[in-house]
Amino acid sequence: MAAQPKRGGVSLPERRSAAKAESNILARITSSPLVSRGKQAACDAAFVSKKLLRSTGKAAWIAGTTFLILAVPLIIEMDREQQLNELELQQASLLGAPPTASVSK
Amino acid sequence: MAGLVPPGATAIPAEASKTAHTKAEEKTDYMNLPCPIPFEELQREALMSLKPETFEGLRFDFTKGLNQKFSLSHSVFMGPTEIPSQSAETIKIPTAHYEFGANFIDPNLMLIGRVLTDGRVNARVKWDLTDNLSLTNEPHMSHGMVNFDYKGKDYRSQFQMGNGALFGASYIQSVTPHLSLAGEVFWAGQHRKSGLGYAARYETDKMVAAGQVASTGMVALSYVQKVSEKVSLASDFMYNYMTRDVTASVGYDYILRQCRLRGKIDSNGCTTAYLEERLNMGLNFILSAEIDHSKKDYKFGFGLTVG
Repeated sequence: MAAQPKRGGVSLPERRSAAKAESNILARITSSPLVSRGKQAACDAAFVSKKLLRSTGKAAWIAGTTFLILAVPLIIEMDREQQLNELELQQASLLGAPPTASVSK
Repeated sequence: MAGLVPPGATAIPAEASKTAHTKAEEKTDYMNLPCPIPFEELQREALMSLKPETFEGLRFDFTKGLNQKFSLSHSVFMGPTEIPSQSAETIKIPTAHYEFGANFIDPNLMLIGRVLTDGRVNARVKWDLTDNLSLTNEPHMSHGMVNFDYKGKDYRSQFQMGNGALFGASYIQSVTPHLSLAGEVFWAGQHRKSGLGYAARYETDKMVAAGQVASTGMVALSYVQKVSEKVSLASDFMYNYMTRDVTASVGYDYILRQCRLRGKIDSNGCTTAYLEERLNMGLNFILSAEIDHSKKDYKFGFGLTVG
């Protein structure tokens, strides 16, 4: 755009006017309320989604760690207990005698 | 068999005379009420499952019984301890200490002494006559306290005296076989404070509900549901009228053959778990975890208990 005035000549004003018209259209498009509103909406959407993603991540982190603390040991221990019970049952059925040793345990 | 009859026969008039002058207006149906639990243990089931002693770092406890009544205990603790501060952030400094204790436990007399390497000394004496006397002594903080307990047939009363002109009295009475009501009065002369509190406890073999109100503005309610022999669920609610803080928490308590597991979550987002795993006879492994997301305070500890 800075080179245009140096050329001089007749065509310059036409070109200028054409460029002006173009820029006018572009400007009109870019400055039209629809586009600016769209841009705003996109910005808002990006902002909200970023925030949402972050808060979802945080919530997932909290929920995950809470689960790790509260439920995981419980599940493991329940499983162990069940295994012990099964083992005892097996032993009882193999020996045929009442499992007195396991009762005292 | 004939020799067993006279003690029973003599015991009945003694009990009858005792109950007759304490509560003459009660019906005959209510003469044989069970003895209530001590006032300070009113919420013990809920506290047992909701307030496990979480710690951070390493701990090792060793108890050696020298004979039936006398035992020595050694315990080592290493890890960061919190310092109370005004700011919201918690400040922790690493500490390590060793504790030596000697216990003498007899059905009538209980002597417990503890010495820490940082100079704290703790002593407890409990002497059961008909009334029992307990004394706690802590020279560094200069805490001394004497309790006189009187255990009646269906009531307990306690009188407390501490240094700093601290006086307290409490009384708990069984009203029905399940319900007991209690009241307490305390007066702290040093701080010029006095207060009055009431409590109630309802207990069946499936659930325990307890409530406590004090004139300091504290309201504490707790409920424990025993789902089975092994499992109990507990919840509690605390409200302080003066400072306006409210906390509620829900927890579980699993007593399995190999371990005991307690977990809790409260309304501040603080999650706690405490696992005691029995590795062998007399050898327990402890894992403790506490995470507080709002304060960014995470505490994990492990330990071993021998003996």
